Amino acid sequence: MSARTKALAAAVLAATLVLAGCQAVKQGAADIIASTGKVSQADAESLVKTADAVRTSFAEITEEEEYYIGRATAALILSKYKAYPNAALSGYINTMGTAIAYSSDRPETYGGYHFAVLDTDEVNAMAAPGGFIFVTKGLVERCPDEETLAAILAHEIGHVAERHGLQSIKKSRLIDAFKLIGGEASRQFDSETLAKVTGVFEGVLGDVVETLVERGYDRKFEYEADKLALSFAVRTGYSPGGLSEFLAGMEDNKPSGPAAGWFKTHPSAADRLARVKSGIGALGEVPAKDAARTSRFSAAVKALR
Amino acid sequence: MKKPARMAFLAAAVLAVFVFLLAETLVVKVKTTTVRSAPKFTASVVAKIKTGDALEKLAAESGWIKVKTKAGLVGWVHATAVQAKKINLSAMDDTMQTQASAGEVALAAKGFNKQVEDKYRAGNPAADYAAVDAMEKVKPTDAEIEAFMKLGHLGEYGGAK
Repeated sequence: MSARTKALAAAVLAATLVLAGCQAVKQGAADIIASTGKVSQADAESLVKTADAVRTSFAEITEEEEYYIGRATAALILSKYKAYPNAALSGYINTMGTAIAYSSDRPETYGGYHFAVLDTDEVNAMAAPGGFIFVTKGLVERCPDEETLAAILAHEIGHVAERHGLQSIKKSRLIDAFKLIGGEASRQFDSETLAKVTGVFEGVLGDVVETLVERGYDRKFEYEADKLALSFAVRTGYSPGGLSEFLAGMEDNKPSGPAAGWFKTHPSAADRLARVKSGIGALGEVPAKDAARTSRFSAAVKALR
Repeated sequence: MKKPARMAFLAAAVLAVFVFLLAETLVVKVKTTTVRSAPKFTASVVAKIKTGDALEKLAAESGWIKVKTKAGLVGWVHATAVQAKKINLSAMDDTMQTQASAGEVALAAKGFNKQVEDKYRAGNPAADYAAVDAMEKVKPTDAEIEAFMKLGHLGEYGGAK
């Protein structure tokens, strides 16, 4: 066996053993790498250590973790605003939202998509990680038809599909979390580690909720969600004009006072409108509005008016 | 050839075969989902599957994967519901120790989980988890979604351009 083959075989074995994550074999792996004579024992150990490094970015948050972050975010939003108590409206918005999610780039999340109307005159829409999506009563009242509401839901599904909420978590906090979590051997935390992990979890929620409710996403995420909204809506069978119509309405008749939540968390409607219009222009043939959709929309939101 | 190197070579060969055998195995990564008779969400239900269930990959087509379940049922799942099975030797030890299914172990990621949620809830009674549970309970059925699409001339029922 050539030295090269030997080194390769050793590297494959070492990598596999490191993946196995077992301390005893890790030392063995370092010994094997060192035994090829190509690297020193110290270098070999540091190589193994690097390969064993804990997770470092939002992309490595698991679907299940995303779900628990989303549930807690939703619980905090629902402690600030109550869900509008109307089963028919809730059924309508959940059916519409699920249909759009099915046509999105990410139809499946750990706990699935869920939609709720918040009982407030503020005009806003929010998506918690994993698929908990909220639209306010004030926003629904501004929608003239199903096309516009579908566009808003599609925009929020875009935020979920691209995991924008998770990207608002401060990097240092993620690194803290991954360090704590990575050091644990089993799925159950001991009480000391549990307290620390829960502390980091609270910090994570602070980052996400502040972004969703107070500060808003980075502008580039809003533009991206608009782009996805057009695509998801059209794939579902909706006219993409719903989004431009909603934005034009926001520009012509700006909500004020306590209704202004939207403007706190979204870039100017005029900016978005220009981009959305050019996005629609690039789509080619698209579905038209439909009278059957508009009439069922009117029936579903009647309770609000 | 020195002994450690020979052992390494043998182990690598064995592992290569093992990796090949596992290559087409997928694991469900969402809480629950459905294997369907065709690659679309409106297709009929073949099987209900849950986190950690192992599936054999047969084919792939525009975002959907044709799979065979443990029970031998064949159908389609959306690619966003599954992930390639990870090879995890330490998890395999666990499998032998606890008799848990291989899939469950592969996905048994530690991290923000139910235990952390419970601890957080205990310290933050204002967070309205009851309202979140109520929100999660609203789940339109396949028939409701199909009827919604049909009545609204959406998806395959779409017409006017």
